[in-house]
Amino acid sequence: MTAEKRSLHINRLERRWIIASAILLVIFMLAITVTSLAGGIAVPAPVARVNPQTVDKEGPFANPGLRELAPGKYEAYILSQIWSFNPREITVPAGSSVTFYVTSKDVQHGFHLDGTNINMQIVPGQVSRLTAKLDKPGEYNFICHEYCGLGHAAMFGKVIVTPK
Amino acid sequence: MAAEQTIEPGNRIASRWRWQWLLLVFPALLVMGVVAFATLKPVKVLPRVRPAPSFILTDQTGQRLTNEDLRGQTVLYTFGYTGCGAACDPLNAIMRSVQDDAARYATDGLPITLVTMFFDPVRDTPEAMQAYAKSVGVDPARWHLATGEPARLKQTIGGGFEVYYTPQSDGGFTFEPAAVLVDPLGIIRGEYRAQAQTLDTKIVLRQLDVLAQEMRNNTAAGRLAYEAAHLFLCYAQ
Repeated sequence: MTAEKRSLHINRLERRWIIASAILLVIFMLAITVTSLAGGIAVPAPVARVNPQTVDKEGPFANPGLRELAPGKYEAYILSQIWSFNPREITVPAGSSVTFYVTSKDVQHGFHLDGTNINMQIVPGQVSRLTAKLDKPGEYNFICHEYCGLGHAAMFGKVIVTPK
Repeated sequence: MAAEQTIEPGNRIASRWRWQWLLLVFPALLVMGVVAFATLKPVKVLPRVRPAPSFILTDQTGQRLTNEDLRGQTVLYTFGYTGCGAACDPLNAIMRSVQDDAARYATDGLPITLVTMFFDPVRDTPEAMQAYAKSVGVDPARWHLATGEPARLKQTIGGGFEVYYTPQSDGGFTFEPAAVLVDPLGIIRGEYRAQAQTLDTKIVLRQLDVLAQEMRNNTAAGRLAYEAAHLFLCYAQ
């Protein structure tokens, strides 16, 4: 009996490492929980469903492009298809907040806006949305970063931020 | 004596484990409880989207209407213009069905109010708004029609409620039909948009029920349950 219990004894060094790694796991779990629930981290989620066959004929994607909600606040509707974005170029003044609504007419695409946090998967039938505050004047390229076929490399556009 | 000494270490381990297993069981129960709450969603809430914008408007009787006047009331907003015709019918249908059943969504001391904001202060005069109110069946005690100074209106409707509208050459407006639900604390709790296929009377009425229930039960211990529901994103559909 005593001998059996004794056989459970773990080497002191080994035990320390086990405890340390368990503590690390707990810290990681807490970090994920806290950042996802309390840190206000927004994961790009589908905001609306659309019919990819009619998305270019009705609704806001029938006339994609930039529209002004209020001074300094814009919405950009961008329709992606093989192998281009429509529109390819939008221009906003510096300091604007732009909410990008992007959807696909055909296959899966990606939307990554250089120099910002905007990085979305574009799935046909769903609208992806993220907002960027564009403070520095300059040209920001957006590219398709989800391989979508032969012309994938040519699928890009740009946001021009003009000085105030 | 010698026998006792060899047994003693074993006993010590056994007695230590008698309470140490609690160290494992309590966190495990806590985690299981949290996962069960977040997945089963026993309490459902509407998300706290963002603070509603402030505004100073003039209503159909010529009186001032501000966001502060509406604090402490659940408010459903829609947006349009007096000449919008059939384009506003779905919005007015939603408003009328809420108006007809207002007692159901009002809670003790927290009434429900309807506000339709009009884009064009030049054409949407108090007289025009009164005529429009008659044609769509507005109960003036519950449903305000209001408009204001164009630049501020754009900041409120476009910037705050995020509803797009722009004038056309014929005096009309291109706009995205939308309804926005604001709670008695002045926080946006629901956005119903034609473009997202959520501008639907059934959805609005269902979510109004959820909000009314929260307002009714959000006291004492219920408050903790509702805060947990917000924390774990237990959102009603």
